[in-house]
Amino acid sequence: MMRRVLALAGKDVRLLVRDKGGTFVTFAFPFIYAVFFGLIFASRSGTASKIGIDVVDEDQTVQSAAFVDKLANADEFDVTQATRKDANDDVRRGRKVAYVIVTRGFGEAAGGIFFNKRPKLEVGIDPARQAETAMFQGILTKYMFEMITSTFTDTAAMTSQIDQAKKLVAADKSLGPIRRTMFDRFFNELDRFTTELKQNEPAESGGDAIPEDKENGETAETESRAGWQPMDIETTDVAREHTGPKNPYEFSFPQGIIWGVLGCCASFGISLVTERTSGTLARLRVAPIGRVQILGGKAAACFASTLILATVMMFVGRFAFGVHPGSWWHLGVSLTCIAVAFVGIMMFLSTLGRTERTVSGVSWAVLLGMAMLGGGMVPQFYMPPWMQALGDVSPVKWAILAMEGAIWRGFSTSEMLLPWAVLAGFGLVFFAIGVRGFSWTHEG
Amino acid sequence: MRTTGGKTMLRLHKLVKRFGSVVAVDDLSLEARSGEVLGFLGPNGAGKTTTISMVSGLLRPDTGHVELDEGEPPERPESRRKIGVAPQALAIYDDLTAEENLRFFGKLALADAGRLRARVDWCLDFVLLTDRRKDYVKTFSGGMKRRLNLAVALVHDPPLLLLDEPTAGVDPQSRNVIFEKILDLKTSGRTIVYTTHYMEEAERLCDRVGIIDHGRLLAIDKVDRLIDAHGGKSVVTAVRQDSEERIESSDPIAEVVKLQGAGDILSLRIDRPNLERVFLNLTGRELRD
Repeated sequence: MMRRVLALAGKDVRLLVRDKGGTFVTFAFPFIYAVFFGLIFASRSGTASKIGIDVVDEDQTVQSAAFVDKLANADEFDVTQATRKDANDDVRRGRKVAYVIVTRGFGEAAGGIFFNKRPKLEVGIDPARQAETAMFQGILTKYMFEMITSTFTDTAAMTSQIDQAKKLVAADKSLGPIRRTMFDRFFNELDRFTTELKQNEPAESGGDAIPEDKENGETAETESRAGWQPMDIETTDVAREHTGPKNPYEFSFPQGIIWGVLGCCASFGISLVTERTSGTLARLRVAPIGRVQILGGKAAACFASTLILATVMMFVGRFAFGVHPGSWWHLGVSLTCIAVAFVGIMMFLSTLGRTERTVSGVSWAVLLGMAMLGGGMVPQFYMPPWMQALGDVSPVKWAILAMEGAIWRGFSTSEMLLPWAVLAGFGLVFFAIGVRGFSWTHEG
Repeated sequence: MRTTGGKTMLRLHKLVKRFGSVVAVDDLSLEARSGEVLGFLGPNGAGKTTTISMVSGLLRPDTGHVELDEGEPPERPESRRKIGVAPQALAIYDDLTAEENLRFFGKLALADAGRLRARVDWCLDFVLLTDRRKDYVKTFSGGMKRRLNLAVALVHDPPLLLLDEPTAGVDPQSRNVIFEKILDLKTSGRTIVYTTHYMEEAERLCDRVGIIDHGRLLAIDKVDRLIDAHGGKSVVTAVRQDSEERIESSDPIAEVVKLQGAGDILSLRIDRPNLERVFLNLTGRELRD
């Protein structure tokens, strides 16, 4: 019995491969799809989009609020205020690139710029993003400088700072007379400078601008940053749980496979009708084989083609595009369940018309509908919630979920059971409907 | 309706098949024996293909039954190993080569790889396609496809062949090749059921011919007996200077001799009764209607 089923399946696979249109839709298009969208996603992730960070203000002072405000208005960041726990969670789960905690005492330290105190930030960042860490710290430093610069040019704040400093110098008994005189002279000069600045403020709109060193083409601000750090940044590695695709191809390859599976499904569904209209089905029926074997052969061909396609794509994805399935055996079961589901759907599609033309048109309408709802065209997370819920009726959604669960979602076996069961259920139900509704003669 | 000869390979017993209100086959009974070519002669829509479909197990009769060889029903897959069918539609795969077509259909019936290989070679040789064995069927002419269609029916070496209008749409040269091959098959002892609406084919190939119309078997016998029984008399046509005379006679030669003595005859023609006349007399209309 198996020999005959295999002969039937072998014939169908051979016919599929020799049909240039069918081969393109089934084998070439999925690769083009996967690579094309992988490249698009890759280029999007490479653009200067804002870095998503959580900011925690534990200091709750005017200075800390001003700093947080600076970060919130920064072009480089997309800031969310959070608690320390949530911020840590977000980075760990990969929802945010990093977090910044403005620690207690930040305001006091930022206010005491003439003393040996520096404001302190805690930064948590995924160690896998080491390359971005330095850049991230640089951006933070830039905004801290900006805040200090504004302190220097805020005459009221500066006068208050100078008064406080003078009092502290006067009260400090450990200072020698020479150093005390030097400090007094420095703060008096600074006080006079600040007073003059204050007097000129209304006349010069650009009064707070730092003069540019025309010769070197750099600002004095830039020069001043070279050696001195305005704050301490304490960096913590937050090992991220890889709950997202590690690269865009882990996202695009499952979708590419789906298109190949849909192509297989449509090709074999239509080929069943072609066999009927061309008379070869009648010839098979007068051969010494049963109907179960005839349909079994077609199902086996569709199953094998689907698995071969998916396996080849996964291997190419693995070795050429860095697609690393989290669990190969989960992926194997997922692909098997997907093949079962779409063999059933193939059988069902063959009942949707009498001629190849009708079945071809209706099949693609059905399959494209499944793809649209199931996230085969547009990822489900772009869809409104009601549409995502509607996607539950589409086998494509479960097929993608089963593959993603095995590749990058990190599903446990118990989590995989649902998509596997749904796919197998779809397959059995559609196959039963298809076998029952299939017309063995052209006349019906 | 019995015939003498080898053992009975096919028995149809009171077959009836209806499609809605149309009776496609009406109370059809007959037998075919080994080594016999049994023809079904009738116009399109007479019920020939429906009968073939019931014999091959594609259709179930509404009433009556079909027995193959030792009384086996054709619905059983193993019984169908004894049948080879060349359907009217070319039931072969255009995107496979001639050899791949034969190998595929052969595999469904033959388990032994060596025998399968030998049968494929024999079939290709038999239908004169050995030199085209590696070519895709889609590159073949209509006649070559017809021959391959016949070869596929033969690949598992069945004792009973059902050939449904096997020369439809082929050129005279290919038709002659097919005729010769069918006569070869007959010589090898196979039973052949042959449907056609061409009188010449039935007369040339068939040992017995069944005249079928509107699903009913009107008559079945050897060709000469059918003609004797239903063809009427020969017609002798004498053409004179200013007239033409038609004389029906069971002894046309005697009539010709008599007319030649009259002296003013320009030409004489004898029209012997044939299957066309048999069909006309049995149905009241011409075979080509």
